[in-house]
Amino acid sequence: MFRKPWIKLSAIVLAASITLTACGGGNSGGNTVDKSAPGNNGGAVQEETKKEVSFTIGYASGDPAGKKAISDVITKFMEENPNIKIKDLSETTSSAYLDWLKTKDAVGEFPDLVEMRDTELFANAGKIVELPTDLRDLFSTLPEVDGKVYNAPLTMTSPWGIIYSKKAYEEAGVTELPKNWDEFIAIQEKLKGNGISPLVVGGKDIFHMGFWVNKFLIDQIYVKDPDWNSKRTAKEVSFTDPNVVQAVTDYKELFQNYVDKGWLSTGDNQTASFLVTGKAAQLYSGPWMFTQIAEADPNFEFGFYAVPDREGKVNVVGLPTAGGWSLSTEASKDQDKTEAIKEFIRYFYKAENYTKYLETTNGIPSTKENIKYNATEQMQTVLDIMADANVTKSLAINNWWGKNLIPPQFRNWYYKQLQELVVKDGDVLEYMKQADKEYDNQVKANSM
Amino acid sequence: MTTPATLINNPQTSTKKRRKWQSYALFFILPAFILYTLFVIVPTVGSIYYSFTSWDGISPDIRFIGLANFVEIWNSPRVHNALKNTMIMTISLVLLENVVAILLALLVDKVRWLSKLFRSIFYFPTLLSGIVMGFVWAMLLNYNFGVINQMLNKIGLGALAVDWLGDPRYAMLAIVLSTVWKGAGYYMIIYLAGLQGIPQELNEAASIDGANGWQQFRHITFPLLAGSVTVCMVLAMIGALKIFDQIAVMTDGGPGFETETLTYLIYKVGFGELRQGFGTALAIVLFLIIMIITVIQVKFLQKREVEL
Repeated sequence: MFRKPWIKLSAIVLAASITLTACGGGNSGGNTVDKSAPGNNGGAVQEETKKEVSFTIGYASGDPAGKKAISDVITKFMEENPNIKIKDLSETTSSAYLDWLKTKDAVGEFPDLVEMRDTELFANAGKIVELPTDLRDLFSTLPEVDGKVYNAPLTMTSPWGIIYSKKAYEEAGVTELPKNWDEFIAIQEKLKGNGISPLVVGGKDIFHMGFWVNKFLIDQIYVKDPDWNSKRTAKEVSFTDPNVVQAVTDYKELFQNYVDKGWLSTGDNQTASFLVTGKAAQLYSGPWMFTQIAEADPNFEFGFYAVPDREGKVNVVGLPTAGGWSLSTEASKDQDKTEAIKEFIRYFYKAENYTKYLETTNGIPSTKENIKYNATEQMQTVLDIMADANVTKSLAINNWWGKNLIPPQFRNWYYKQLQELVVKDGDVLEYMKQADKEYDNQVKANSM
Repeated sequence: MTTPATLINNPQTSTKKRRKWQSYALFFILPAFILYTLFVIVPTVGSIYYSFTSWDGISPDIRFIGLANFVEIWNSPRVHNALKNTMIMTISLVLLENVVAILLALLVDKVRWLSKLFRSIFYFPTLLSGIVMGFVWAMLLNYNFGVINQMLNKIGLGALAVDWLGDPRYAMLAIVLSTVWKGAGYYMIIYLAGLQGIPQELNEAASIDGANGWQQFRHITFPLLAGSVTVCMVLAMIGALKIFDQIAVMTDGGPGFETETLTYLIYKVGFGELRQGFGTALAIVLFLIIMIITVIQVKFLQKREVEL
């Protein structure tokens, strides 16, 4: 009589404990807020105000200098605010940042404070909330999506251009910077003739393709028609139109003739070492690379310029984009967490911290407060380009918003297709027909 | 010793007693059953529903779209390309992994000297995760900094130094060979167990009758390995159809879409392109493909086992 209930009870307890052990476990996620009461010792009132709070943060970490700069601010902030714990979720992966963010969301780890680059997408999905109004005064310009402000911009948009080795130019007999596209190609010929790979491209990272692809798209399309994307969505224009075909043909010819052979195996973070070791003479990228290059070899001499188009006009990426720090919807439901995040944002943009971040990333400040730092020669060129009224400012294909927003999945598909076009020596028109088809499919899929 | 299992299986145990013990057994099965239901059965059944929706994976808005995802799969050149890549990779991997595994097993079986060391060396790569293996091979095969190209350059064969992972002619080959390197050791162990179960007398008798090594392998060893072949072929096939890690790390499905397989496409469209509904429909198609091929393969190989 004794054995029966004992065995049955044991079985139930064991079954329940195993199940609960598996389901339970320490909640190591960063989404927890420790609301434990302060200690029993004195100074209870002061302890009460310093409630322990933790939140998670996620940002694009493809640029090591940028990652370190943000990481340093986080560490310093936590040292000065011991009651606030920030769990840094950022990690360097082979995925594009958008893929990483969506994967984090899928596994329930969407960061509480997130660097947002696809604002409209995540705002429409209800993942982020509007920027708290008491933070907006910090910034000189705040991009809007459907009339709402979601982002605290990390920096203003920086232009992309050629970062070149002065030594390689000198050795190839290049004495003047190009005034138009044909002169630029002539320089590539000189460099090639001198036995150096003219251009390094970090094609292993799909986002890197955007630098060159958008250079041609901006020159041929967006400068003349900033609403091209919305017209494409309405099927009023096509990827097979002569201007797009010309842009893609220019891209293909450049890649087939002047880009380093191993470009598809080269990561974006390897490009700086190509320049400083003399394996390539130039890199087409943005000012955030200046720090990486200087760190790779402090004695390496390099310059920067924006590549002109066939008519000699200079067009660059430079319009404001809807991007920057955003508060997640989940985090906004927790008052303590929201306050901690706001505190961190204010701290991030404090002159002493923000200056260091800008210096490291060679960013253009987005704050109202006039942030000054010692601009290098290359950075001064960047600032001059941005200040030049004759330079047309535009955006990359995936950075337009509102009616010009493209299907979010199209960018990566298009860049991959353009990689294939080069390595398979494909027919541009045929590939652009496929692009039309894919774009329409994706528009249709998104509208379902 | 009397155990619950012997009590249940003993025909002399009364029905009442047996039922009682079975109910205890059920309690012990319960935790595993609950976890399996929560993490496997529920998502699997749920995925059937999602395959008929246009859910993007992050929005609360889930719309039923009927068979639209499956129609798109049928018509999509990208899916056709992924299916083609999957088939090429599967056939190559199943054949190469098994051939290499049998050769290694024969080698380890025959060579008595340091056989344990060789067995460990050949088995070691299987202990690495696909991700780690992918990173290692990606570094080795890197066009500019990879050891393989640097060695080729050093020994005067610079012309053979190609962009292994960036050239569409070699990217698939690189993935297949690195996967064989990782997987063959596992199948080698299964074949080795099979080889060691073959009575030596058979080979000795054949040898006395004048059969050479190849003839002994062809007519004695290989037929008696039929059971191991069935297991290894099925496992290799399922593994190849599900290949993901190496592609994610080594080529990201590229160059272009040259190494994009069905599993990688499922991940790309599901997570990368915000089309969970479409990705789930693709997963269901892949599940059906694996099931059909496995059934056919097992039937064929079991029939062969009987014939042999």
